[in-house]
Amino acid sequence: MPMYGDQGNKLVQHAKRMQNLAHLPPYQTELVRAVTREVRDLDKDVASLLEPFQGSFDPSADQSTACTLLVNHLSMRRNKRCLLAYHRTRTDKLEELVWNGSDVLDLAGQQAGGGANGATAAADGGASSSLSPQEEDYVRQYGDLLAAYKGQWTDIDLTGSLEPPRDLFIDVRVLKDAGEIQTEYGAINLTKNSQFYVRQGDVERLIAQGYLQKLG
Amino acid sequence: MDIDDILREVDPTFHAVPQEKRNLQELTRAWIAERSAPELLPWPADGLFERVNDSIKRQIEKVEEMTGDMDPKTNFALIVIQTELERFKYLVRSYVRARISKIDRHTLHYLSTDALRARLSEMELAYATRHQALLHNHYLSSFLSSFPSALQNINDSAGINMVETPDLESAVFIRLLKDTLVEGRGVDSDGAMDGRESDIVILRWADAKTLVENGSAELV
Repeated sequence: MPMYGDQGNKLVQHAKRMQNLAHLPPYQTELVRAVTREVRDLDKDVASLLEPFQGSFDPSADQSTACTLLVNHLSMRRNKRCLLAYHRTRTDKLEELVWNGSDVLDLAGQQAGGGANGATAAADGGASSSLSPQEEDYVRQYGDLLAAYKGQWTDIDLTGSLEPPRDLFIDVRVLKDAGEIQTEYGAINLTKNSQFYVRQGDVERLIAQGYLQKLG
Repeated sequence: MDIDDILREVDPTFHAVPQEKRNLQELTRAWIAERSAPELLPWPADGLFERVNDSIKRQIEKVEEMTGDMDPKTNFALIVIQTELERFKYLVRSYVRARISKIDRHTLHYLSTDALRARLSEMELAYATRHQALLHNHYLSSFLSSFPSALQNINDSAGINMVETPDLESAVFIRLLKDTLVEGRGVDSDGAMDGRESDIVILRWADAKTLVENGSAELV
């Protein structure tokens, strides 16, 4: 029989590993369920242990029961923290993706489709996303929240580059056709493999989205 | 920003500096302090950001006005203004992002007392409250809702406090703005020294905080 907290430990290990990954690994639906179940079972144990005492339990009179209760109590809380840590690490990662302006829901679908073990992620069949349905909701809501907050800074793009600006103009190479963009020096047609000397502010979004590559 | 700028900032003739420049200096200072301090500092209360936003808006209008002009002289001025504009925007962006990342990391802590809430701007407060609600909801729908009801809170403080707080003991560099006594707690013993103006000292934020707050020192 597995020890208390084994499952929770696995979750934390998943979370730890995730921090160094560029992409988001599939959501551990089964593991989360197992840990939650363990908590519920422990809670039932506690209730049934306490039942014969009718609310008048004296820890010093029955030390072995008191010890069991304490271990159960601590295991429940530990499991809860493991779950919180796992989910928080994932939402942090998701938020980072939202800030970077990538289309998270799209991205997750692609990754899971490309990966061999993507199918384990979705217990509900059909869609093979590495996000749980709850996480997809969360991403959508956080995206709205961020957009609302950003909207209050009318002149500044908060999701812009955090590198201090050096030059107003930069050399860029076009990696993917991006069509025509309007700048104050007229329109530029961004066709693949061409190179331009443009104002950084005009093309920042395109660099972030991977259409352009900054040179030099 | 070099040493001269900093010395100028603390100069008594400081108020002779034009408003635009003072905005920039205040902004730069707030930015440096926010990025160095381990905890969230109060949002500037004197309307600094309204002024900065206004001046950014004015600059953008000016750029638009000048763009039509083909005179090479205007063109050069345009580039200078645009470069300045980009730098201004960068400072604001970096400052706001530094704050948001601190708020995100310890949301519950900053929402827990009125004194801490007062450090946030209205916008940030709205953001933090909503963000926390979203997170809580996410936890609830992911697993907390099937927990025993006594365990559904996420701000338990029975036993171990579940609310993480920033580490106030981490080290910061400060520059002294006037001669003052600097006291710091060490691992083995506490130390004190007579600091001179423009000395740079490294010590724990918890010890440096009062010096920074009463204007005897600034973060670098």
